[in-house]
Amino acid sequence: MVLQIDKPPAHDQSKQIHPAVTEKLTDPAWAWAAYQPDAQRPWTLAQAGHLYQRAAFGANWDQLQQALSDGPQRTLDKLLRPQADIAAFNRTYDEYDTGSADSLRAWWLRRMILTPHPLLEKMTLFWHSHFATNSANVKNARLMQQQVQFLRSHALNSYRAMLKGISRDPAMLIWLGAEANRKARPNENFARPLMETFTLGPGNFTEKDVQEAARSFTGWFVLRSQLRYIPREHDGNLKQILGQKGNFTGDDVIRIVLEQRATAQTLVHKLYRWLICETEGPDAELIAPLAKSFAKDYDILKLAEKMLRSNLFFSPVAYHRRIKSPVEFALGIVKPLEGVISTTQLAQDLADLGQNLYYPPTVKGWTGGRHWINSATMVRRHNLALALLKGSGPYGDKLNPWTVAKKHGCSTPESTPRFLIDLFLQGDIEPDVRDALPKIAKASAGADGGDLAEPVRRFAHAIVTLPEFQLA
Amino acid sequence: MSHTRRDFLKAALGASTLLSFASAAPNFLTRSVMAASSRRKERDTVLVVVQLTGGNDGLNTVVPYDDDEYGRNRSTLRLPTKDLHKIGSAMGFHPRMGAFARLYKDGFLSIVQGVGNPNPDRSHEGAMRIWHTADPVRLNRQTGWLGRAADSVWNPNTTNAPAVFVGPIAQPFALNAENVVVPSIRSLGDLTAGQIPGYPNDQSQSKHTSELPRSDKGNSLLDFLQHCTLNTYTNSRRIEEVAKTTANTAEYPSFQLAATFRTVAQLIRADVGIRIFFVEFGGGGIGGFDNHANQLGNHCALLHQLSESVAAFVHDLRRDKLLDRVLLMTFSEFGRTLKENGRRGTGHGSAAPVFLAGGRLKGGLIGPRPSLTDLDNGAPKFHTDFRRVYATVLDRWLGFESRIVLDKQFQPLDVLNV
Repeated sequence: MVLQIDKPPAHDQSKQIHPAVTEKLTDPAWAWAAYQPDAQRPWTLAQAGHLYQRAAFGANWDQLQQALSDGPQRTLDKLLRPQADIAAFNRTYDEYDTGSADSLRAWWLRRMILTPHPLLEKMTLFWHSHFATNSANVKNARLMQQQVQFLRSHALNSYRAMLKGISRDPAMLIWLGAEANRKARPNENFARPLMETFTLGPGNFTEKDVQEAARSFTGWFVLRSQLRYIPREHDGNLKQILGQKGNFTGDDVIRIVLEQRATAQTLVHKLYRWLICETEGPDAELIAPLAKSFAKDYDILKLAEKMLRSNLFFSPVAYHRRIKSPVEFALGIVKPLEGVISTTQLAQDLADLGQNLYYPPTVKGWTGGRHWINSATMVRRHNLALALLKGSGPYGDKLNPWTVAKKHGCSTPESTPRFLIDLFLQGDIEPDVRDALPKIAKASAGADGGDLAEPVRRFAHAIVTLPEFQLA
Repeated sequence: MSHTRRDFLKAALGASTLLSFASAAPNFLTRSVMAASSRRKERDTVLVVVQLTGGNDGLNTVVPYDDDEYGRNRSTLRLPTKDLHKIGSAMGFHPRMGAFARLYKDGFLSIVQGVGNPNPDRSHEGAMRIWHTADPVRLNRQTGWLGRAADSVWNPNTTNAPAVFVGPIAQPFALNAENVVVPSIRSLGDLTAGQIPGYPNDQSQSKHTSELPRSDKGNSLLDFLQHCTLNTYTNSRRIEEVAKTTANTAEYPSFQLAATFRTVAQLIRADVGIRIFFVEFGGGGIGGFDNHANQLGNHCALLHQLSESVAAFVHDLRRDKLLDRVLLMTFSEFGRTLKENGRRGTGHGSAAPVFLAGGRLKGGLIGPRPSLTDLDNGAPKFHTDFRRVYATVLDRWLGFESRIVLDKQFQPLDVLNV
């Protein structure tokens, strides 16, 4: 006996662009105003899933239901400022003596799964790609651990403090080949990415600015994995950087680059692509108010909050306009299924998908977007999902979609598929595609209705290998 | 739009299916079909790069047997002239490289002599870094030449992996790209879609869902993902088919390197759009070619394995009329010193020969034989910048733009019949 999904879920209308809304989206005032659901733009399961996808690593069923009843702004209160004891959680994880970069990868993934403050980890991952440092060159897991801990402690605080700290971070300086910056031989290896990647962006500085900044940073060394300042190696003479003159130090350079409008614009642009949309834009005009405000205090939490609460965030401009990174793909399977899996194995599998934590390819981090996807990485997504869901092998039986469905009151061959489609895709799937998913058969006609665990595994695998599931 | 893509559309959908979509056909399908008919055939040549890790002794690989300096400086390592496979110009292949000598005589192998770089580094790490980045000046360069090559041909609708590393060690830095994800694989299984046991139709089911048209909500990402998913399962099935039909037909010796070449040949045969394969020989790390002591036996075994494995690869491809699409090149981070070191071994050198194998070679020895009297720190000097070899394979063979990859235009070598 073969049974199908009980009744087709109505296709979510909230994604259709209402003409009036489209016009408003280019108006910065309306775009950045806090989203309040109305008849035209209702608060739906799809919206709740969208929020958890971007501000966290996906949601389980209880979180989705809670979000539906709380509404968007109250859900955001919890995501931005959770009530849990974050400090205690982080302390526990920070104290693990990790030893190797491979175990650091595993601990971080575990933290992403279990954290009471997923937005903090999401933003730490953002900064890990922004201040991308590759452990292969640093060859010192302790320094890598310190760097990511530093990024976490500032991930939702002040970009000013973060940038200053990074300019003195031994792992960063070793990775860039900037561990010796002598007066007689200024080293541009930090000054260049500082301007090109961390702040101003290409085209907003000259070669001369890089050279003068390098002179300002002279005197800083990394000796035996320790940061050292050697005063006699500092060039205290006059420099001219981005139009300003003075006997600048490295800290002055940080101050000067942060005073440039281009820096705030570049960072807002980058965060926009991370939180809202990576397919196009944004127009300079649209993000101008955010950049202006960010330039005043470089308060990251305030900026992220503005973006996440906005009309724009809950509009078609943002919905499904990103491709899940490998981490987002894998945790998007793990989180809804409420299990904790071996993250040592997962870290290696994610490396094969192109996202090797602690080993970003270059100082520019992971480019991502469509670059995540080709037929080799897609077949590996298929195989990773299979390994996670099949109930045996390296990941064991930690993820069991049927158990989760039963826990939430869906135990029949009719209700289980519907539940999983809502859980993983928030019901947003076209009827033809839904009908083509594997049928869930009763394994036997036993008194308990038969064990559906295996067919449900297969059904869940078919969902998470859909093109739709790769969208964030 | 290559033949591959056209084939895959045909295979995956069938002409009639496409027609039946008619008005409902998703945008990407319509676009693909139109592109297939309008665009001329893209190049489908394949490059196979073989890294000989450790610094191969070129002088005992292609031996200048009539040069008195050779015999004088190599009292224990000198290979007997009568055992060499002579190829003219008073050169001969190592006695255990008979297979290379035959390839050479048949025109399937060329030797580029005296390849090196103007800023040689005699440490393994430094020299290898230079070959990988193709940048002898900026030593902390963060991308490899093949990674940049992969990035240079990427476009937003690319769905095939442009390059792969086949092997069990960490991916060589040459493939490090800023943008593109270059996969590392150990076997064909890494590129085929697995199934949940007991559900033999899982794959066709998945393909089925990815084939269905989606209403266009103005989201080009979904279009792209659908296109790629479809291509993924088509490629997977092609690889499975090839693995099934050719598993036992081609003859390869029982070396690890030969098994790797067999995998590469199968992927070429499956025609899944991979343009660059990277293979490592010597074991990673410092590498098996680094023979500071008792070189003779070890080097002999390595060259024999290399020679037999490459020959098996060439014959396999030739049998299937695929050889004309394939060019193989070897490299090693440096050659070795002319004079042996008193421990029956050699020191780190500079220039070394690069071997090219394939069906479209002009053949022969390329470039003059490096002098054994005018030396650079005891080792033969380079006369051909390694980036000229890179420019040759990028421009003339793959049809990429080497200028983008190598920062400037190096003059390609006239070695190919293309």
